[in-house]
Amino acid sequence: MEPLLTIKDLTAGFATDNGTVKAIDCVSLSIDRGQTLCLVGESGSGKSVTSLAIMRLLEFAGGRILEGSIRLAGNELTEQTQRQMIRIRGNQMAMIFQEPMSALNPVFTVGDQIAESIRLHQRKRKSEAKVMAVDLLRMVGIPDPETRARQYPHELSGGMCQRVVIAIALACRPELLIADEPTTALDVTVQAQLLDLLQQLQRELGMSMLLITHDMGIAARMADQIAVMYAGVVVEMGSVEALFDQPAHPYTVGLMQSVPSMEGERLSELHTIQGHVPALHAIPAGCRFHPRCPRAMPRCTSEAPPMMAVGPQQQAACWLYDDRASGFAAAPDWDNGEAER
Amino acid sequence: MNEAITQEQLAAAAEPSWGGGSEGAAVSKSQSSVLPTSKLPQRPPGLWRTGMSKFRRNPYAVAGLIVLLLFIGLTALAPYIAPYDPARIDLLLADAPPGTGNHLLGTDELGRDIWSRLLYSGRVSLSVGFAVAFVSVLIGTLVGSISGYFGGWIDVILMRFVDVMNAVPLLFLNILILAIFGSKFSYMILVLAFTSWMGVARLVRGTFLQLREMQYVEAARAIGVSNTGIIVRHLLRNATVPIIVTATLMVGGAILSESALSYLGLGIQAPATSWGLMLSNAQEFMLIDPLQALYPGLCILMVVLAVNFVGDGIRDALDPRKQRVVERRGWRAWSRFLRSKT
Amino acid sequence: MTEYLVRRFIQSLIVMFLISIVTFGLIHAAPGGPTQIFLSPGLSQEAAKVQAHNLGLDRPLPLQYVKWLGGLLQGDLGYTFKNHLPVGQILWPTVGHTMVLMGTSWLLSLLIAIPWGIYNSTKAYGWSDQTASFISYVGFAMPTFWFGILLQELFALKLNWLPLSDMWTIDKEGQLGDLLLHLILPVSVLTLGFLAGYVKYARTSMLEVLEQDYIRTARAKGVRESRVIYRHGLRNALIPIITIIGLDLPILVSGAALTENVFNWPGMGRLFVEMALAREYSVLMAITIVTAVLVVIGNFVADLLYALVDPRVQLGRKGGTAA
Repeated sequence: MEPLLTIKDLTAGFATDNGTVKAIDCVSLSIDRGQTLCLVGESGSGKSVTSLAIMRLLEFAGGRILEGSIRLAGNELTEQTQRQMIRIRGNQMAMIFQEPMSALNPVFTVGDQIAESIRLHQRKRKSEAKVMAVDLLRMVGIPDPETRARQYPHELSGGMCQRVVIAIALACRPELLIADEPTTALDVTVQAQLLDLLQQLQRELGMSMLLITHDMGIAARMADQIAVMYAGVVVEMGSVEALFDQPAHPYTVGLMQSVPSMEGERLSELHTIQGHVPALHAIPAGCRFHPRCPRAMPRCTSEAPPMMAVGPQQQAACWLYDDRASGFAAAPDWDNGEAER
Repeated sequence: MNEAITQEQLAAAAEPSWGGGSEGAAVSKSQSSVLPTSKLPQRPPGLWRTGMSKFRRNPYAVAGLIVLLLFIGLTALAPYIAPYDPARIDLLLADAPPGTGNHLLGTDELGRDIWSRLLYSGRVSLSVGFAVAFVSVLIGTLVGSISGYFGGWIDVILMRFVDVMNAVPLLFLNILILAIFGSKFSYMILVLAFTSWMGVARLVRGTFLQLREMQYVEAARAIGVSNTGIIVRHLLRNATVPIIVTATLMVGGAILSESALSYLGLGIQAPATSWGLMLSNAQEFMLIDPLQALYPGLCILMVVLAVNFVGDGIRDALDPRKQRVVERRGWRAWSRFLRSKT
Repeated sequence: MTEYLVRRFIQSLIVMFLISIVTFGLIHAAPGGPTQIFLSPGLSQEAAKVQAHNLGLDRPLPLQYVKWLGGLLQGDLGYTFKNHLPVGQILWPTVGHTMVLMGTSWLLSLLIAIPWGIYNSTKAYGWSDQTASFISYVGFAMPTFWFGILLQELFALKLNWLPLSDMWTIDKEGQLGDLLLHLILPVSVLTLGFLAGYVKYARTSMLEVLEQDYIRTARAKGVRESRVIYRHGLRNALIPIITIIGLDLPILVSGAALTENVFNWPGMGRLFVEMALAREYSVLMAITIVTAVLVVIGNFVADLLYALVDPRVQLGRKGGTAA
């Protein structure tokens, strides 16, 4: 079956005083129906830009999609006008963000904000929408939803606000939910509750999810597929089992090793990846990771590696795996010539 | 150049360098890489140096500075370049058009040379402006520091006092005090300063409150720096930039207030001269010589505009937190200031 | 909310009280002070002493203050030194005149500035925005009374289109048309002054709001852009704007002392200056008190408006409840 979301060679950036700077370069991903793809990476890796680009919200942040294709259920999103996108956003696909307290409008009640979504896309009457809003609050696990619906965001805690945000996002039963670090700003215990809620709702609604996070633990828990991003490109992609079992790209390896572990001996230092993420206007030539890579080869300084198959459920953009690529077919839905290399 | 100690620098000095990710140089355990490791990042250029180059690139700020310096220069040299004594009356040559004899801009109804009067007025206005700004900053910093640093009762009382001062229409207060006590030059500066220190006080207090809670103050205390040490070294240095900006903008306000008071007859009195006084004169004799009103007002406009550009330029160049907070607070000051001008 | 308002009300009372003390203190610190206010002119030293005693001027200051305050609250504002006229008789008419002038200018400036500022925030750095910015800068730096004088010279003297000064032409007092003609110049001056600040403020307020997260949420919900700006955004941007308007209410009466002087408008501001030059302390005191009271009321109204408009203040409870 065709994936719900297919992104191919997506390139997007911002206009600066020094010309257009690319924030993401040739990003390709796909998400099947009902599946969760976790987009993992450090700050500045381009994960948020990717998500904004998918929602076509990048234009409002001063950015532009430069090249590439985004297909949602067969619909080419890069070709839609904003007027057309308005019918898709909040309806067929929805997005939730990081800071729940500031994500809600302080001058409208919580119920109003949920109901607005319903009335925009489902043409329901005010009274009906109100009732549905209360139901949604119940669905996301807020006790005493009738009272809560009449309250203002500042009367709710952070965790509750995020539940409301989820309620707004899911009001129209979207096929795809994009969640940009939804739990980062919350306490650990609340985090766990919210992640459970998301998984439960996803099952109930048969929804796909693109979950952006920098936390490998969350990825391990939530993902079916993981895509690792670095400095604007996808460096590795694969099923969660494959990636955790045998990370291929040196960056992924570094990330895995950086997670402090409860087991094993007590190390005197936490493992870090030396160096720092390159600035957008100073991207290294060849493989972007090579200045920090403990296994860099001369080839890496001049040629950027394409995505290559590393295993049945795994691809990485690294020259280390070059000899293994030949003859191995990439994921069946992809139309690419890389398999020939 | 003295730079405010940044949080990073202090933290870096206080902790072993574990580092992690982004900017700092983290030394990895295994140095088995073929390629060179990243160097330690250089100490970033100081706030003042980057500020100066930013300022230089701002055309308005630079233009403003040039104009301001021009005015300061010309008026400072007034005794040497003014062709006439500004109070010298010459009834034979009254209301002469520009260019008559040695009178660059003509004479007023008493035959006084307008150009000379402009220059000497400039001296008065500019000195009032800077003096008021200076005194205001002194008062404001004192009040604000005490209020912000000690908090509690002192803070409450002082801030209520600030509220009261803000509630009163300042022009009225200025007029009232000058009417009661007389219009001596020093009184004027004191009165104007007394009605404009509140902005600085609020600012300083705010900065203190913010910084007091910041971790590097705790760090400094942990190292053993005394209370006064903390105040002077860390906190004041960080409050310096907004204070400078406010003080600069205050100069313009003071000049406008002084000219308003002089126009009304409650400020500078004859035989001394001020741009405001010249304007009141000009209005009286509007029918005879309408052009007279143009010059003093134009001077005021140019100087205040220049000062404002410089002040904005300094703020844009040096204050990383940028405009938003300042502008919101700035509205109070603008509103009061507006009322004092109407 | 009531608790908040009651608190503010009490604070207002305290402030008014303090202002009255300060004013009283100032007047009594004046050289040649209180005797001028209360005594009839032209008395011999002996008779003056007697009258002073009768009026209680030789009693301790605090008692005098209480007496004065008492009189004030009953509407007795004292008498002028010259001609011994009751202050109220001179003062009250001017209040109305000032309100006409200020009210017109202020309302006009708000009507222009707020929509303009908000429009500019949506098209930041466009030509409309640049124009407004220019006006702001000039408005900030220009002495308004100079601008008034220039307008007088141009429109009244040179072109003879508009009257030079005053509120009415001598024989046309009370006629609306004449009033309007006389209003044009001073209103222009005042409106420009107000405009400069308000436009900038409206723009800033709106821009700040448009950068908030909830705007992004609204867009992500699929709300169309015009609604995002004018419903989600404006409602929030108006809060600080309305508070500022409230805070500026006192301007309606605290007067346009300068502009009234330029145009010889018979308002409270001009009266104040006239009386200051004549050292008529009783009138000055009265005007100060009246103004102060109005300012405090204005601030209180501002607080009221703010409480009405911002739900975060409305419901006395602060912060969130348990998750």
